[in-house]
Amino acid sequence: MIQVNNLKKVFNDKKRGRITAVNNISFHAREGEVFGLLGPNGAGKTTTLRILATMMAPTSGEVIVNEYNVVKAAHKVRQNIGFLSSETGLYDRFTPRETVRFFGKINGMNDRDIDDRINEIFNILGMNAFGDVRVDKLSTGMKQKLSIARAIIHNPPVLIFDEPTVGLDVITARVVIEYIKEFRKQGKCIIFSTHHMHEAEKLCDTIAIIHLGKLLSAGSLEKLKRDVRLDDLEEIFFKLIETENNNK
Amino acid sequence: MNWNNIRLVYFKEILGAIRDRRTLISMIIIPLVFYPLLFFGIGYFTMTGQQKTESLPSIIAVHGEESAPGLIEILKEEEKIQLTGMPVNNQEGLESGEIYLLIEIPDDFNINKNLNVNQSIIIQYDSTSQYSQTARRRIINVLEKYRQQIVQMRLEEVDLSIDYILPFNEEWMDVSSAERKTGSVLGMLLPYIIVILIFVGAMHSAVDITAGEKERGTLATLLVSQLSRLEIVLGKYLTVITLSFTSMLLGLIGLSIAFLTPAYAFGELSLIKINLSLYSFFLFFLVLAPLVGLASSILLLVGIFARNNKEASTYVTPIYMGAIFLGMISLSQGTELSEVMFFIPILNNSVAFKELLMGVIDWGHILSTLFSNIVIALIALLFAARLFSRENVLFRS
Repeated sequence: MIQVNNLKKVFNDKKRGRITAVNNISFHAREGEVFGLLGPNGAGKTTTLRILATMMAPTSGEVIVNEYNVVKAAHKVRQNIGFLSSETGLYDRFTPRETVRFFGKINGMNDRDIDDRINEIFNILGMNAFGDVRVDKLSTGMKQKLSIARAIIHNPPVLIFDEPTVGLDVITARVVIEYIKEFRKQGKCIIFSTHHMHEAEKLCDTIAIIHLGKLLSAGSLEKLKRDVRLDDLEEIFFKLIETENNNK
Repeated sequence: MNWNNIRLVYFKEILGAIRDRRTLISMIIIPLVFYPLLFFGIGYFTMTGQQKTESLPSIIAVHGEESAPGLIEILKEEEKIQLTGMPVNNQEGLESGEIYLLIEIPDDFNINKNLNVNQSIIIQYDSTSQYSQTARRRIINVLEKYRQQIVQMRLEEVDLSIDYILPFNEEWMDVSSAERKTGSVLGMLLPYIIVILIFVGAMHSAVDITAGEKERGTLATLLVSQLSRLEIVLGKYLTVITLSFTSMLLGLIGLSIAFLTPAYAFGELSLIKINLSLYSFFLFFLVLAPLVGLASSILLLVGIFARNNKEASTYVTPIYMGAIFLGMISLSQGTELSEVMFFIPILNNSVAFKELLMGVIDWGHILSTLFSNIVIALIALLFAARLFSRENVLFRS
């Protein structure tokens, strides 16, 4: 479903010069899989996900999402993804129903399909009670549910979630985690970034640890434990980063 | 490019703007309530102030009145002049407002003796006081009367009539029609006001739906949807045009209310006489619509480039000042532009609009205005669409 080959992204910063945010990383994620990008701030997680979501173009390398190239067929890729990040804000002056309807429409859905899908999603996410309340009156948890609803309205096979639990309280974060599990059951491919070890441990079928733009290791938790010969993900994470820093 | 997608973005933005309290205040409350109240207030206070100074007699002190009894006689006859017999301390009396004007007649002043000597009467007044100004006007009339009296007396002594020194009179006749007079007054004010209205209307919305969206983090959601960058830009552009045009219309309605109320700010305009046909409306539209398009595209471009609302406001301010400056040139009555200068946007809109108000239809001017505005607006719009595709602009931090 997602194929990333030798992806590289270089930024030219006026003050800091050339910055390699993503350095030659490769991985693939299948349908029905939760793929976690685990790394500290500045590791390159957000840049990678932005490239996957067609918001940025790679400097080199190739990214294929559900058989479409993110550069050559960006429009097709966008039909196949649902994107959620802490940056994807909501329109304060709209209600959740209006918001989701708008995103259904701009994703090419007809009114009937949108209505059916809104009923389905609002039931699953428990959004009926606040479906017609303006967004600026909603709690953080309600807003995050709406963000999820908006990302999945067109029922995309691939979900790209950039730190979806950042800034959420434990209860809301748990709700998000539960929905990611639910989407996996539905056979969707979910790629999400986090810097919370326990989230990655609990949720991911595959964990990719990235640091300073490089992919240090990737695989199931068991594989990482075997490779690094440590039992705890946090220990594995720090060991890999330490080794990388020493190699520099 | 899909027009349905542009329409979706457009209606989303318009609905957002309608629900924004700031839009309500800046587009409806200010033009429809604040403008009329402001002009009415200014007019009312100016008028009542003038009425008050006109109704009160001017208190005047005369120093050396025994030297010019004729003048004193005339002064005493004047209903709106009150002579005070207070001991005169020139400066203090004037500064404290106890007297409005002081006439000093020299001791050797004698209208009969010094026939060939030009004698002076010194008059002190306070130009910052409305009362003193009124007194000055009244005294000028009195002195003229006194002067004529003396001249007449002297001419009679040598058996000459007044016509001897006044070989002719002049009569001035204004042939301008009421329409042209109104056009002239409106032509000075309106183009300038309209430039402001258009820019103010476009400014808030253009910044809010571009830099504001970046700041609120809602732009990313549009970028990962199936909308193309050009569809997003065009949807937003049409929104800014709509709001800017509405701002201009509501502003004009507000100003019309202000001008047409039997208020007092613009006395000459309360007798507005202007023939407005559908054709003249069409011509107004032809000259003003490109300005709306131009202002919207430039402000949208700036909004897209800016990181956030604050940065956008910093960029927008000099543009707004520049627009006001260009609009202001049309305020001066003698403005005539060369053919080349008719390609300078904003300046050409305001001058072409002024011409139309005066009843002049110059197709060369109208077409140069249209052409230059449309070309610059298109360039700005294409540039805006390109900026919208550049990740270093969209994700600047």
